[in-house]
Amino acid sequence: MATLNRADWYDIARDTNWTPRYASVEEIFPDEMSDAFGLTVEQWEAYDEPFKISYREYVAVQSKKDADAYSVKAALARANFFDKAAPGWISILKMHYGAICLAEYIAVLGEAKMARFGKAPGMRNMATFGSLDEMRHTQIQLYFAHENIHKSRQLDWGLKTYHTQNWAGIAGRAMLDDVILGRDAATMSIMLTFALEQGFTNLQFLGLAADAAKMGDYSFSNLISSVQTDEARHAQIGTAALKVLIANGKKAQAQQAVEIAFWRNWRLFFSLTGPAIDYLTPLEHRHQSFKEFVHEFIVAQFERAIEDLGLDRPWYWDFFLDTTNYYQHSGHLELWFLRQTLWWNPAGGVTPAERAWLEEKYPGWNQRWGRLWDVIADNVQHGRQDKLFPATVPMLCNICGLSIGGIPGQGHHVKGHWTDYGERRYYFCSAPCKWIFDIEQQRYAGHKSIVDRLLAGDIQPGTIDGTLEYMGLFPGERGDDADDYAWARSALPPMNDRSAGHADAAAGL
Amino acid sequence: MDNAPTGSDARTGATLGPLKTWSYLAAQKRRPSEYEIVSVHTLYNNDNAQVPLELAAGVPMNRWYRRYRNESRLRHADWNAFRDPDARVYRSYVAAQDKEEIYVDGLLDQYNALGHDARLAPAWAETLARLYTPLRYLLHAAQMCAAYSVTMAPSSTLANCAVFEMADQFRWVSRVAYRTAELAKAWPGLGFRTGERRRWEEDPAWQPYRMLMEKLLATYDWGESVVALNVVALPAVDAGLRLLADSALEQGDPLTGFLLEAQLKDSARRNRWVRAFMQFAQDQDGSRDAVAEWLAKWQPLGEAAAAAYGEDLPGGAGRAATAIQAMRGLQDTLAAARAAAP
Repeated sequence: MATLNRADWYDIARDTNWTPRYASVEEIFPDEMSDAFGLTVEQWEAYDEPFKISYREYVAVQSKKDADAYSVKAALARANFFDKAAPGWISILKMHYGAICLAEYIAVLGEAKMARFGKAPGMRNMATFGSLDEMRHTQIQLYFAHENIHKSRQLDWGLKTYHTQNWAGIAGRAMLDDVILGRDAATMSIMLTFALEQGFTNLQFLGLAADAAKMGDYSFSNLISSVQTDEARHAQIGTAALKVLIANGKKAQAQQAVEIAFWRNWRLFFSLTGPAIDYLTPLEHRHQSFKEFVHEFIVAQFERAIEDLGLDRPWYWDFFLDTTNYYQHSGHLELWFLRQTLWWNPAGGVTPAERAWLEEKYPGWNQRWGRLWDVIADNVQHGRQDKLFPATVPMLCNICGLSIGGIPGQGHHVKGHWTDYGERRYYFCSAPCKWIFDIEQQRYAGHKSIVDRLLAGDIQPGTIDGTLEYMGLFPGERGDDADDYAWARSALPPMNDRSAGHADAAAGL
Repeated sequence: MDNAPTGSDARTGATLGPLKTWSYLAAQKRRPSEYEIVSVHTLYNNDNAQVPLELAAGVPMNRWYRRYRNESRLRHADWNAFRDPDARVYRSYVAAQDKEEIYVDGLLDQYNALGHDARLAPAWAETLARLYTPLRYLLHAAQMCAAYSVTMAPSSTLANCAVFEMADQFRWVSRVAYRTAELAKAWPGLGFRTGERRRWEEDPAWQPYRMLMEKLLATYDWGESVVALNVVALPAVDAGLRLLADSALEQGDPLTGFLLEAQLKDSARRNRWVRAFMQFAQDQDGSRDAVAEWLAKWQPLGEAAAAAYGEDLPGGAGRAATAIQAMRGLQDTLAAARAAAP
């Protein structure tokens, strides 16, 4: 008798539901933790995870992957990449670690919640691996970040961001808590694994991996590619759940869950990956533009995924596609302007050669965005320090936590979105964020953005320094221009030699 | 500025310099291990006791965390100070378990080549169908309980122990499933593969274990759940598994015996962190009182379960009392507060 194949016994390991007697099904699987859709345990037993792996295979494959990733890092440590890399790239690493490491850890808990409260044994088992995977991602990325911590205080934010009241930490928690731990296991399987992991992790992890490889940062490239191979497996938990839900008449509710989570993720991921790909990566190492990347890895793949399932495109799809033209540019400008509030140093990324690339990738970039950078460069050249920082605080969206903005100047199309609820008015960046709030107002009510807190007097002293300290940022870790404004000194000829248009730009700013 | 924590020094307005480690660990004034660098303080949802999640205070999950975790009677001033005595991290876990699984593969190959299953005594094969292969339901329940500990743990160092525990239980769900398929081939008429659920739901030998696990699954107070699972229920399960291993060896089934021994190695690792955790968690009187009450409530269920199962095994009646005595000793050791520890 030969040793058995996985297929000979796999189904037995996921035949683990039984009918409880000493506690009720409702006590063991309460809807609020288990399944807001209200399907029965028996209905969930049709769940069939598409990617099958056994524990034995898992530890064999994963220990090999870890050995590879850590040994590449060890081998390359002597190359001192961190000391030699372009400042913009170092900023990407700092931003990445600060935004991602502890977000992975919340997914450890999220996956465990599916492992406990999922009504389908197959989901519980796959989520057990998912939880392990996310622990791997937390730990390996913290380990890599920590390696260079003696070189920059800003790398402390690999562990610190989510423990602070930094606006980005608040925004990150608000998104993660809404789509992961704040949901029942069934809804989370859609929001975390289908919308976030299948929809968006490709963006940060494959998009940056390609640029990192071109940069020669093989350690980071290898690290995040390795992480993504795990995501590709456990991200399928949600696809199988959607099949069960749709087959049981829950398409509309599932569609709504997809739409909420896709939009929330887009709002955060564009702000991370967009500036990284279009501005911070050194020009000669750019693989493709952020827009090109989004269309290849998000739009095409996501459209295919929802079509395969029989779901519809989100109602805001045309608006979403349009935002792939400008969110990254307005976002980058905002991050650069608010650079003191960051734990990384944003690069301007607008030298003449970079502008030519941006114009090629985004026709009209100079007219729309370049002229704003002209004004900033002019202020740098003339030493107008006070104009290099915002004079007022930005309006922040009460759902996504990012600033309310859009296209400036002639194409200006910023619209106000708000909802009056309880005793106050909540402001939103976009129709989808307002839509999310309005679906379940009591879920989000009371949320205070950092600006709400400032205006309410929660932050004392309400000075710039006081606010930065409230956000956990002390001198020595606050962001500044990555290239010490060198781009601005070379970016344009002196004011009196320049073509018309800058006055408009100044007015637009 | 090296090793200066972020706090008071920063408020003097001085510029912070680079550190040798995370500012969170810099205060401990010693070089952190890899385990500490990647495991400590990675959980943020216990920073704000009143509003754990960045959502309205009244959303169900914020209420759940407040009620079942933050208001649990198991309290500690700084859960983040807990450390796993094995300092286990992901990469050492998968590397170590890969080696253990290679050993198990070797066992299965070796006994397979010997035609092991076909040579079992028919009565013992029936015993395996009744008292071994239904084990996957019990282990899966333990996997689910450990998963709950992960979601509710007040610190990452504790949650990580629970992640490994959850994975360990799934490991043995898988191996028992594997054996179920093998035994079904060798002994087609005994209900292997088809009869486990009914036996788990109806056989009197399993019912006290089933009651224990179902009641645990419905216990949501984080502290009670983690204590009842790790100090009471799993040691009670292990007592049964030890008796099963003894019977297997006696009945000419070394494979089952060796597999159970390999399984109990995972339990030994669990017991190390559980013991350290119980010492750590009972630094406060309130915690000690709560633990004592929970033990009084759960230990009778655990003993009844181990006894019902153990006494039903061939030769078990004579051994069960000793095994239960040993289990009590283990539970006492695990439950001991620091001051009472030997």
